[in-house]
Amino acid sequence: MLNRLFSEIRFRVRALFRRDRLEQELDTELSFHLQKEAEKHMATGVSPEEARRRARAAFGAVQGTKDDARDARGISLIDSLAQDLKYALRGLRKRPAFTMGVVLTLGLGIGANAAMFGIVDRLLFRPPLGLKDPETAHRVFQHGRTQDRRPRVLRNFAFRRYLDLQRTTRSFESFAAFQTRTLALGEGSDTHEAKVTLASASYFQFFDVRPALGRFYGPAEDSVPAGSPVVVLGHDYWQARYGGRSDIIGQQLRIDRGTFTIIGVAPNGFVGAGDQGVPAAFVPITAYAHAARGPGYPALHTWTWMEMLARRKPEISEAAANQDLTSAFLASWRETIAANPNWGKLEDMGIRGELAPMLLARGPHAGRDAKVATWVLGVAAIVLLIACANVANLFLSRAFARRREFAMRLALGVTRARLARQLLTESLVLALIGGAVGLVIAQWGAAALRAAFLDAAASAVIVDPRTLLFTALAVMVTALLTGIVPALQTGRGNLNLTLKGGANEGPHRSRARPLLLVFQATLSVVLLIGAGLFVRSLSHVKNYRLGYDVAPVLYASANPRGYRPSEAEQRSLAEAMLETAKRIPGVQYATLTISVPFWSNEGTGLWVPGIDSVTRRGNFLFNTGSPDYFKTLGTRILKGRAFDERDRAGAAPVLVVGERMAEALWPGQDALSKCVRIGADTAPCSQVIGVAEEMRLRSLTGEREYSFFVPSAQHTAPPVPEIFVRVTGDPERLIEPLRRELQKLMPGPAYVNVVPLSELVDPSLKAWKFGTTMFVAFGGLALLLAAIGLYSMIAYDVTQRTRELGVRIALGSSVSRVLGLIVSSGLRLVGAGVVLGVLLALWGAKWMEGLLFQQTPRDPVIYGVVAGILLLVAVVAAVLPALRATRIDPNSALRLDG
Amino acid sequence: MARTPIDLLQGTLDVLILKSLSWGPRHGHAVARLIRASSEGAFEVLDGSLYAALHRMEERGWVEAEWGLSDKGKRAKFYQLTPLGRQQLKNETASWQRYSVAVAKLLTATVQP
Repeated sequence: MLNRLFSEIRFRVRALFRRDRLEQELDTELSFHLQKEAEKHMATGVSPEEARRRARAAFGAVQGTKDDARDARGISLIDSLAQDLKYALRGLRKRPAFTMGVVLTLGLGIGANAAMFGIVDRLLFRPPLGLKDPETAHRVFQHGRTQDRRPRVLRNFAFRRYLDLQRTTRSFESFAAFQTRTLALGEGSDTHEAKVTLASASYFQFFDVRPALGRFYGPAEDSVPAGSPVVVLGHDYWQARYGGRSDIIGQQLRIDRGTFTIIGVAPNGFVGAGDQGVPAAFVPITAYAHAARGPGYPALHTWTWMEMLARRKPEISEAAANQDLTSAFLASWRETIAANPNWGKLEDMGIRGELAPMLLARGPHAGRDAKVATWVLGVAAIVLLIACANVANLFLSRAFARRREFAMRLALGVTRARLARQLLTESLVLALIGGAVGLVIAQWGAAALRAAFLDAAASAVIVDPRTLLFTALAVMVTALLTGIVPALQTGRGNLNLTLKGGANEGPHRSRARPLLLVFQATLSVVLLIGAGLFVRSLSHVKNYRLGYDVAPVLYASANPRGYRPSEAEQRSLAEAMLETAKRIPGVQYATLTISVPFWSNEGTGLWVPGIDSVTRRGNFLFNTGSPDYFKTLGTRILKGRAFDERDRAGAAPVLVVGERMAEALWPGQDALSKCVRIGADTAPCSQVIGVAEEMRLRSLTGEREYSFFVPSAQHTAPPVPEIFVRVTGDPERLIEPLRRELQKLMPGPAYVNVVPLSELVDPSLKAWKFGTTMFVAFGGLALLLAAIGLYSMIAYDVTQRTRELGVRIALGSSVSRVLGLIVSSGLRLVGAGVVLGVLLALWGAKWMEGLLFQQTPRDPVIYGVVAGILLLVAVVAAVLPALRATRIDPNSALRLDG
Repeated sequence: MARTPIDLLQGTLDVLILKSLSWGPRHGHAVARLIRASSEGAFEVLDGSLYAALHRMEERGWVEAEWGLSDKGKRAKFYQLTPLGRQQLKNETASWQRYSVAVAKLLTATVQP
């Protein structure tokens, strides 16, 4: 068997190299035969020409025999492929415009797909870099119910849960605890904030990585409770801060409130299981917890702060491991409930563990990004389909134009299969070139995508082996899709008719092309409707008044870093920060605050005379501010007044309520002067002095959120002074001066951090913007491709009918009638596509709903506009060439031939 | 020569070529002539397929080819049976005989068995 295979291969290879000689011998042999045969005929008295003709006829088609003989010699497969390739390349070189058009179209289609695949792959499919055996590595989630019985899924746990699970489960090799936090690094004026991953020693065992320098820490340095103050630096941080020097091992680094000794550097690109990019440092989670909460932290029930990973034993099924996890959670919670009886009954809490994949986007906490990215990949695929339809169509037109050539070759004895293979080779070559162009486009365009979708820090090479593989697949599919229809159509029909007929005759309208046109129009409509919906949705998001200004506002916070000031100190520090900030040129207003929109919120109990259990009505967000609070944020006071100097500590307590809160609590009444008790039902009455414009503080869509505002002076000072500053001009320019001035006020190790408010608010708008950008980009691409496709197809058809049109005009048909004829036939097809597309979009609308903001997915305006655009493209595509056709002199049209 | 040529059954051509070559080496045209003559015109070998068959058999090692001069001094490719080809001819002849006897028996039967 193997022997045969080898001799077969030897034969083929030898045949390939000896090709030219064999070819020559074949010619000699066949011509010898023909000559002998002709001689025989001549002996019977026939003329030499007739003799040769008879000889040839008896022989059958010469070309076919050569092919057969080649097949017999075994070179056919490789050789004919090379021949097909040569032939295809020659054909493509001869028609540069056609080739360019096809390559660009396919390049855009394939490029869009490659780029999107890179994103979706990273979001959904590819396990984190270096993860060992992803099958058995899990992220731990816990299902449960809130006190008001709503289901919720948690992934942040108390440290004791981690200890309990390790102690009571049997299905796992190990657990790891980790948490990525933004912490202060360095000292004095060099203090800066960076992401630090607090991780158990077992965390590194989940990954197959070696430190770039030094070592990772081990279990002894991560012992409960205090661990050891050691730190492993992130590669990027090491490069940026220490210039990649290797003599840093043993140096000290201040992190948060402790001093840590550098023992190693993580390998380049190592992110771990976090979703916030490459951390600047890794420290033992016990060392951090001990410094932050003291030695008692392992017993705390309430400090739920860290995430967990679990490594399942390979012989245990996931279902069994889940069961084990659930019972361990229940046992652990039994203790918690015993210690905190007022938290409810264990039976009511519906606690259950879940082992999810390591990728957040595939677990129960998948964000909108993953959903949107999947959608966009689908969109990219549709774009590719449209591109394929365009190209298939071009091929068909070309195949039609070449049908005499094909007929000739068939007559010469080339088999149909061979001809079809040649066409497929041609489309494969084009798809390959298109794929190469696509990769360039992907590489170039993906940088933008990545910035929008993935953490900038997570970026690496875009065109990696997986994307390449995907692209290769896309190329194959493309080649098949574009080549198969023309290949199937080759040599259909009567050869004689084709050979005799002129270029403009014959049964030239195949059934495939109108179908392609309808198909293309359908897809374009669906995409364009999607794009339209997203554009409207984004304009809603953009024009949506958050109730405050984001762009001109800076947020400054003082981080005490373990320093514990008295309440009096806190107040005076806050006042000093406010006064200092106001003195800086360019600062308009400044105010104290305790909450930051979309970043941190406070809630509190609320009692209103005459209303039962107010807090059941929703989430009442509690905010404090100094007199310039509303001016700083640009929030309008609709009724009454904002707080001012009169509302000091000790003065009559007051509050400002948001518009919707006033409406919800006192519908149809004047909210001013109403009494609200804040914090406890025994608290003194706070009087409503004003109604402010509604502020969106936690989500764009949350309907059950209300907000109210209390003067800072009448509220206990927050542990960390925080201020908002409104500036004129470029806010970025003021960040550093503000930080420098405020830092001078800081006592001891405390430091100041200043960021633009937009940096905190924008991420929550990112997913909306992202989806829109992508849909619009791809929708635009689709429209362009579809327009080109429709135009070329209709225009080509019209050109093909030039002769027919000439006849009609010669017979007295008016130009307008002929125009009407052509336009209506184009419109009929595109119209069918539009109807199908609209139906498809209506059907798919329900899945779009969650991705749109204040926008119905069945917006008739958008549907109408899209349908209009496509029909317009169809009309233009039909009218232009039709006009040209009608201007042709009927006489010359009638004589028109090949 | 008034006989109508019959189509060759699939697989028959090979054995006919082998038989023609069993008389000694000859070139393609001679093989075609021999088949035509010895079947008294019953078998019309389309010459193209003859060469395909010859090349195929060359690949399988049943025949060997050698360039030589024809009786008129022209360069021609002469084919000759290899031992393997001779064996093949023996096998094919045997199975053909069995086959044709069986078919003849069946077709000439006068009573239903």
